[in-house]
Amino acid sequence: MLLQQCANGIFLGAVYALFAIGYTLVFGVLDILNLAHAAIFMAAAFVALWLVGLGAPIVFAIALAIVFAGLLGILLDRVAFAPLRKRNAGTLVPLISSIGAAIVIEGVFRGIFGPDERRFPEGSFVSTQFHFGALTVGALDLIILATALGLMLVLSYVLRATPLGRDIRAVADDRIAAALLGINLERTIALTFFIASALGGAAGILIGLQYNSVSTDMGGRIELKGLAIIILGGMGSVTGAVVGAFVLGLVETLAVAWIGSSYRDAVAFGVMFVLLVLRPQGLLGKRALRAA
Amino acid sequence: MRIANVLSALTAAASLSLAGASIALAANGPAAGKTVKIGVIADVTGGAGAYGTSQKNAYDLAAEDLAAGRIDAGGAKIVFDVQDSASDPAQVVNLTQRFTTDGSALLLGPTLSSEAKKADPLAVRAGLTILATSNTAEGITTLGPCVFRNSLAEGQVVPEAVGKAVPRWKVKTAAIIYGDDDQFTKSDFDIFKAALDAQHVAIVDVETFHKKDVDFKAQLTKIAGKKPDLLVVGALQEEGVKIVVQAKALGLRAHVIGGNGLNSPKFIELAGAAADGVVVGAAYYPGNAYGGNRDFVARYKKKYGNAPDQFAAQAYAAAQIAARAIKDGAVTSEQICAAFKRLPLIETVLGPVAFLPTRDVRAASAILQVKGGTFAYFK
Amino acid sequence: MLQFLAQHSKLFDQIGINALLALSLSISLRAGSLALAQAAFMGLAAYVGSIGAVNYGWNLIECIVAGALAAAAAAALLALPIGRLRGVFLAIATIGFGEIARIAEINAPITGGAEGFSNIPNDAGTPAIYAALAATGIALAIFGRSKAALTIAATREDESAARGVGIDTGAVRLRTLVAGAVIAGVAGVLYAHANFFITPGDFGFPRMEQILVACVVGGVTSSLGAVLGAAVMTVLPEAVRFLNDYREVSTGAILLGFILFAPGGIAGLWQRRAS
Repeated sequence: MLLQQCANGIFLGAVYALFAIGYTLVFGVLDILNLAHAAIFMAAAFVALWLVGLGAPIVFAIALAIVFAGLLGILLDRVAFAPLRKRNAGTLVPLISSIGAAIVIEGVFRGIFGPDERRFPEGSFVSTQFHFGALTVGALDLIILATALGLMLVLSYVLRATPLGRDIRAVADDRIAAALLGINLERTIALTFFIASALGGAAGILIGLQYNSVSTDMGGRIELKGLAIIILGGMGSVTGAVVGAFVLGLVETLAVAWIGSSYRDAVAFGVMFVLLVLRPQGLLGKRALRAA
Repeated sequence: MRIANVLSALTAAASLSLAGASIALAANGPAAGKTVKIGVIADVTGGAGAYGTSQKNAYDLAAEDLAAGRIDAGGAKIVFDVQDSASDPAQVVNLTQRFTTDGSALLLGPTLSSEAKKADPLAVRAGLTILATSNTAEGITTLGPCVFRNSLAEGQVVPEAVGKAVPRWKVKTAAIIYGDDDQFTKSDFDIFKAALDAQHVAIVDVETFHKKDVDFKAQLTKIAGKKPDLLVVGALQEEGVKIVVQAKALGLRAHVIGGNGLNSPKFIELAGAAADGVVVGAAYYPGNAYGGNRDFVARYKKKYGNAPDQFAAQAYAAAQIAARAIKDGAVTSEQICAAFKRLPLIETVLGPVAFLPTRDVRAASAILQVKGGTFAYFK
Repeated sequence: MLQFLAQHSKLFDQIGINALLALSLSISLRAGSLALAQAAFMGLAAYVGSIGAVNYGWNLIECIVAGALAAAAAAALLALPIGRLRGVFLAIATIGFGEIARIAEINAPITGGAEGFSNIPNDAGTPAIYAALAATGIALAIFGRSKAALTIAATREDESAARGVGIDTGAVRLRTLVAGAVIAGVAGVLYAHANFFITPGDFGFPRMEQILVACVVGGVTSSLGAVLGAAVMTVLPEAVRFLNDYREVSTGAILLGFILFAPGGIAGLWQRRAS
């Protein structure tokens, strides 16, 4: 049973990781806590669902919805963050404007698709369950785990070893110095938003498939959990966020197994709170991203 | 199009007459020619939007049916003023205040019990009669002498469901999973626990979750380790779907039982094969033949593209009950309250209903089981 | 007109309570810290004020005093661990605190949990709410002319410079957090005593967002702005009923509009016109 609980924790962690990678990337590069990430996560799932409903093959629908999420991310940046950058509004004002953007995106999608929960049609994606002795593992669990780890590796590589990654790291490091070096600031930031939001969108679609559920408020809970994850992992670090996500998944699962499910969320937020308090300076993400 | 409407009106009238109901379409009741305004508060948007939308749909349909004479109000004109409270208690309070001052003779709603407990006292103070259609918590009708409800509370359906399921499945042990941050699901836990205790079933594990959770595998794995005969799901449809799907995927072999929260066509649609065999104690059976229900289900489906759920049926039944009181001559809030108190057993889409002296509804509960993708009576 | 007032009398009470909440947050914001624990302080005080009234027969004044003291104590305790946190980290820590507080309210044996706490005396009417708001407004106005207000502004503008001239910025942050908690506590007790019934869900993250939005729309550093912001955002959902299913979009759009085009909020617009 402990084995199954550990597996549960790891797969839950993989779900969290998918969400947190993009969340943390924007934070690491721009110091923005983007509370609209959860809205984009939801939007992509709805677009994929809508395309499947129109008869599009699932893989094509997923790809198109991920691109849509990326473009929505660029739009989000242009509307809600770029004007604030121009007047050096600090890091708290963008947080508030991301709340505004999230309300607008969720409101529009609720207006279009209605408040009902939906699901991808049965059999539109793999749903096999594997049994290893007492251990049960879903094929989609494994896909999500592989996707989360794969994305982490790819993104780390992109950040470390490509010209784009170099630009992104330079912008994260010191925006003014980066501009002086001739880096196209707005283009780099737009690409960062595209990547982060596309990843958020992929997370929304896979999680929608995994739990057979797409609804306009699907991002609500994972958004606050995501905060705990980027704190656990060291804000701004992609690898750290993935590690933090697995830690949170395991902590939550084991809290249910050992302490009691009523206190699961209190334990999760308690761990986050204590970590923030005990290591406030050591968790700054800039350093982490530079090392990525 | 127009011909189709006339036809459906005719068939509706025919089915009503077959059901033995009155088909007095002529404007000849004591309230003939009068206009009665009914305020409706529903969470059409926001977190509870799915429930409120069902309710709004049902009232829109009821308004059409009143105009077409399919629901008989004795020649009185009934106007539903349906307002969205956006799942925000503050808006519920404001709307309630508004309906106490704008000449409304009856208030239908609000959607959630927690909203009702904040807002109903205002209506009570102003002497506005309330008919709650979806409040299931304890202590709703005791808020005032003219607060009624036509929704069977969990306490009225769960003990019967448990009483049927336990001997049928020879249940010795049970585990409960419920939402501890929601009034409805928390009361589910209390009521199921009492019902299981009464049947001398040992409760081997109790697990909780929070609203909007999507992953229940940790709780279900723990439950599976205890190997209960019965899994009690104290959840609303959204979480209930994921619980039964994940329980099945984890290989949990217990029978599954739930309350009104799972009684929705959406539950079967979303849970697919995992819903098969689940028993729910509920207030509405979509397949019943009372009070024009077949016709209601068919026209609701045609108009909105999906089958009506319990929220829709209870709202439509409220319109039928209100129409009956008005047909008998009640046009003010006071008269409607008095009419409700002496309401005979009348046929609605929920089945035959009347009000108990406690102003709770007197109706039969439906113990249903999911079979082959639809609800059927559990035998 | 009378008809309108009668129909919307509850709206005025809500404006008063939301204005108090916006004021309570604006005090922390004036010191430059985004401490998002107002909803938690409000909830704690609401429960203290409700349990006191129902179980111990306290009157409204006693409930308000006890609720405000409880909120102040919670703020002082919270200030200890989070004292070193700044910016977004402070925001996240306080959001976490709010979630923990809500879970505690759900699980505590005395609150009624998710089924809520009912039978709260309905003795906080419009006069009581506006008396509390007026008292808070006057206190803040007097305070605004004092030297202490300068130390708060100095802490916001440049913390290390403020420390350089001998300001104990830690103490400034502690005091603003506690002062804000007292006001949130008063608002929480009034909320409970105006609504018959409370549940832990009344004091979660959505409430915190609502307070923040009112503050930003009003203008973060002005008392009058906070009050106006609360008034606008409370009336808004009633005023845009014609938008039907797209009603909630208006809240986000107005928030974005102010942040982008009028960063000083309503108060800023006012000042811009005056100058």
